[in-house]
Amino acid sequence: MPSGDKKKHKKPSRKKSELDSALDQVGDESAAAAMKEFQDLLGEAKGDTSELVWQNAEELERYLVLLKNREIDKEDFDYFVESQKRDLRVFIDAQPAQAQERAEKLTLHVLEIAATKVVPILIAMI
Amino acid sequence: MNSTLVSRNVLLCAAAIFIASCGTATFTKSGSDATIESLRSFQLAFIDEFAVPGKKFNAAAFNAKVNEGNARFQQAIANDKFTARRPVFVDLKAVFDADAAHIKSKASRGKVTPALASEMKKNVNKTYDHALGR
Repeated sequence: MPSGDKKKHKKPSRKKSELDSALDQVGDESAAAAMKEFQDLLGEAKGDTSELVWQNAEELERYLVLLKNREIDKEDFDYFVESQKRDLRVFIDAQPAQAQERAEKLTLHVLEIAATKVVPILIAMI
Repeated sequence: MNSTLVSRNVLLCAAAIFIASCGTATFTKSGSDATIESLRSFQLAFIDEFAVPGKKFNAAAFNAKVNEGNARFQQAIANDKFTARRPVFVDLKAVFDADAAHIKSKASRGKVTPALASEMKKNVNKTYDHALGR
């Protein structure tokens, strides 16, 4: 049974997402800088031509919104991120050497910032 | 004249063997695809049965279903004729193991949410689509 819901890649909208609006509320200066770095990287990943990269970014954003809205908890978030990392590791290792650094920055690095910097702030905001 | 005839026959034989092996490979791959689809259905049904918000966790039923899943995956790994797919079955089994462990942890504490079940099913479909090269 195919999933049948394979999405086409839409160009990321310039309109602020639900996640952007939440992250923009961060007042602390150093935390705000980390959020800005994360939003920039996530935006770049969402606009990437590689399906796995933009899919990963969109999924991550969805998980963060679900976490913020308490529809999943941190355990679920960590579980989904670990699943994504497993998928991505195979993908990154299969890339040509010169493409690996960028692929890693737009996938594993974004997940890492989300887990270590964004999630604690989102949880504190709930 | 004779050597030309022999060469032509050898070539025809080689071509016939090649065409037959292509057919066998296609048949083998389609059989392997069907096994993957069957495992996908099993795993989605597993989530539907046990990742249900508010449902009391039935450890015996859960363990029986996990055992059934383990047997299905082991059988798929052992019986698949399309040997290039074997690592894919091993990866799919790892996904099933991880999903089962997370569902057990959440369901046994009554902490399953509708979003968890829905996202797990999306993940399963994505993983199986990748396994089928889609």
